[in-house]
Amino acid sequence: MKASRISALVMAIASSLVIAACGSSSSSGGSSSTGSSKTLVGAGSTLIAPLMSQWQPAYDTASGVAVTYGAIGSGGGIEQITARTVDFGASDAPLTPAQFTAAKGVVQVPWALAATVVAYHLTGVPNQLKLTGTVLADIYLGQITMWNAPQIKALNPGVNLPATKITPVYRTDGSGDTYAFTNYLSHVSPTFKSKVGNATQVSFPVGLGGKGNSGVGGVLSTTNGSIAYIAISYVLENKFDYALIQNAAGKYPVPGVPSISAAAAALTSVPANNDVSIVDPPASASGAYPISTFTYAIVPTKSSKATTLKAFLSWAITTGQADGPKLDFAPLPAKVVTADTATIAKIG
Amino acid sequence: MSAAAPSATPPRGTLATVRRNIVDRIGDPSLRVLAGAASVVAVFVILLLAYKVFDGSSSAFSKFGLGFLTSKIWNPVTNQFGAASFIYGTLVSSAIAMLFAGPLSIAIALYLTELAPRRVRRPVATLVDLLAAIPSVIIGLWGILVMAPFMVNQLEPALHSVLGWIPLFGGSPSPFGLLPAALVLTIMAVPIVSAITREVFETVPSDLKEAAYALGATRWEMTRMVILPIARPGIVGASILGLGRALGEAIAVTQVIGGAVSIHASLFQPADTLASRIASQFQSASGTVYISSLFYLAAILLVISLIVNIGARLIVRRGIPAKVMN
Amino acid sequence: MSATIESPNPPPKLFTTSARRKRVNRSMEVLSTLAAGLAVAVLVIVVGSVVIKGVSALNLDFLTETPAPFGAPGGGIANSIVGTFLLVAIASVIAVPIGLLIGIHASEFARPRVSNAVRFALDILSGVPTIVTGVFIFGLLVAGHVQSGYAGSVALAIIMLPIVARSAQEVLRLVPNSLREAAVALGVARWRMVLRVVLPTAAGGLITGAVLGVARVAGETAPLLLTSSIASNAVSWNPTQALSSIPVTIFTLSESPAPADHARGWAAALVLIVGVLALSVFARSLHERSRRRLRG
Repeated sequence: MKASRISALVMAIASSLVIAACGSSSSSGGSSSTGSSKTLVGAGSTLIAPLMSQWQPAYDTASGVAVTYGAIGSGGGIEQITARTVDFGASDAPLTPAQFTAAKGVVQVPWALAATVVAYHLTGVPNQLKLTGTVLADIYLGQITMWNAPQIKALNPGVNLPATKITPVYRTDGSGDTYAFTNYLSHVSPTFKSKVGNATQVSFPVGLGGKGNSGVGGVLSTTNGSIAYIAISYVLENKFDYALIQNAAGKYPVPGVPSISAAAAALTSVPANNDVSIVDPPASASGAYPISTFTYAIVPTKSSKATTLKAFLSWAITTGQADGPKLDFAPLPAKVVTADTATIAKIG
Repeated sequence: MSAAAPSATPPRGTLATVRRNIVDRIGDPSLRVLAGAASVVAVFVILLLAYKVFDGSSSAFSKFGLGFLTSKIWNPVTNQFGAASFIYGTLVSSAIAMLFAGPLSIAIALYLTELAPRRVRRPVATLVDLLAAIPSVIIGLWGILVMAPFMVNQLEPALHSVLGWIPLFGGSPSPFGLLPAALVLTIMAVPIVSAITREVFETVPSDLKEAAYALGATRWEMTRMVILPIARPGIVGASILGLGRALGEAIAVTQVIGGAVSIHASLFQPADTLASRIASQFQSASGTVYISSLFYLAAILLVISLIVNIGARLIVRRGIPAKVMN
Repeated sequence: MSATIESPNPPPKLFTTSARRKRVNRSMEVLSTLAAGLAVAVLVIVVGSVVIKGVSALNLDFLTETPAPFGAPGGGIANSIVGTFLLVAIASVIAVPIGLLIGIHASEFARPRVSNAVRFALDILSGVPTIVTGVFIFGLLVAGHVQSGYAGSVALAIIMLPIVARSAQEVLRLVPNSLREAAVALGVARWRMVLRVVLPTAAGGLITGAVLGVARVAGETAPLLLTSSIASNAVSWNPTQALSSIPVTIFTLSESPAPADHARGWAAALVLIVGVLALSVFARSLHERSRRRLRG
């Protein structure tokens, strides 16, 4: 009968699909993979996502390994690698001792160098407004609420600032950019440090939230008067206006590869756990952008994919760096590469 | 259709004489068992779901207890969490959505059952129902890219200038907040409530309506005297079902609500609901207490929607067709 | 069924109505018509926005290519289309047979008390917010393991099940008992009777229920966000890994600031809406046809 034939046909198609899906283990798109050793799944930082999207096809061509990456935020990256639901995690925030313990045998490998930029959306006002860390902290604490506040006017004489309300925008997800930003603000403002603190996810007293660097950018572009901290690649890709932040030497460097490299150059040595924080560099680094940050790969020391991971990491810190500058990632300093190579050797 | 009866010499059609072959002897109980098992699966899934959600929230529950429901703090740094802001956001956005959706749906149902010319009835009904078929993520996409700019540039300033003295409209305009979320929820609730209300209106006996007309009532008076009183339980049930939909909506809300942990009087301010907080934070939550707190939010949401949903079904009279209820 | 209506005192004049009452009536009629117009207008605005803004980005490349790297133009959603297809197909394979069997149980075997209890359970299940279903499946299948297309499909199947099962229950109940009795009288075994008589008669309505379920879960985002979101950019037919899906892709694109991403979001929404609306319209027409056949 017609209906039973139809249902039989549907069942046949559906079951053949399921069987075919079970049988095949490959993801197509150019290269053929024969098994799970040819794929890597990672998740985490949205800051490195633009660079990762360049690495994925390049590494696939170079080695036949397909890397899948979910940009869910640094907090998510730490969580997923702790739960071992992914092969590697990516975070701009270094692991705390508690997180190291919870993760049961991982190492962190700084594999890219970029910055968190303060972008703003204010019609009628030119690009590159000058701000200081204390003013920024007060904005995010809700102490400074209008763009034409005296503190901002004092830093920008000659700029016609409108009487618009400032809407700070922050990350709702666990974010390495939040870590870098709150790290910097906690350095320059003791009030901020005690009221809000420094972590991948904090409780901001005022403002609007967005998910991921992308989401924050979206909120920024819709809201006149908003100010946000966003990873540098997104700011320059979307041509947002951005602020120049005064560094410890009193200068206002433009965020970009030169000022980020200057901040990294101030690093004297790489500690044993690879925690290389470079926010608010000392005055000796006169051209340094004060909210620069490394970003880390978090990798288990023992796993079934250890060989593949080692190869990928080694490629990323050497050949992969060449894809960085066009997205405003500065190349890794030599001492970091040396420390990384030693760490990578410990895997597997 | 012939029964297999290898040596059936007695006249056909006599059940007693038909010998059942092996296939039939296995087939009947097999079908019964399979069908019964499927029903058991349905019940089992709900029980397992409730168990998993409550079990996942146990760490947070043992740490915060019921105080979680009244605490406004949501601080991953100090590992202090509380659901009060989200319960507020959920209740307010859904209440406003129902405030709009209720009368709108009754009006639409009235139009479709009483006012519309016959030819127009079917197409318009189809169009209203199709609104229910639009996936919520697309409503959210439209909300971010079309509605939010309209809100912050036109609607909210207008409301503020006219009604700004009411605290509800007191804050400064913002593209994301409780008001956009409520509007998005209204769009999603109206098709459901109006579809059920329409079905309920159609069950009102026409001789009662005709009697009212015969006594000289206008159409509106007839509606007020006959249809609305009779349909009241159905309307209430339909509204509660729509409310259930609004309470549980995560995606479209998270796209337009602004993700803030706060309780403000103003509808313009960003906020967050239970469902939307879970959706935006679940993937990146780290640490047992944090994840367990999100499970706790899910448990609260589950309890609220169960109460609302079961309440609705109990109130609505039997006989409402299944397709409408789904 | 009759009832008496109390005449207001004094009784109104039989053939005239006061101007005020006429005005009230007219304004109510206008309001009702406006309300219906508003609902239709919103539908037109939303769908219209999707169509107008989506059409410009929609081309064959969009449907056949995978996403481009960050900042690069072009690219498409081929991986999401395949992923959604797979997720929904596997969910249907799980939910449709079980839903059908539940319907059969209710109409053929169960005592009324039992089938009412099952119907109640299904009502509860359909009232569970989809994000909670996602949390449930996350706790069950993803925590401690990895995200996978199977986990996503199971979550979708749970959402689909009440729709299919309730529809099956209703439709099978409408099959006239005379057909069943005739089959049994001819000596047909119960299971054959169900499979060869009852199901084919109700086939239209059963397919409607399945199609409605598919239309509903094809657009679901929340459960997939937690179970199948870290997915490859390449086209994948492998459900043991997370699969990309159109709703999650739209969700991600909607939050981006880049206008290119917005255009892609509208185009993906157009693809999804065309699919879902086509399925819904198809289901409704099937429903009408089968209802007429069973009742007429």
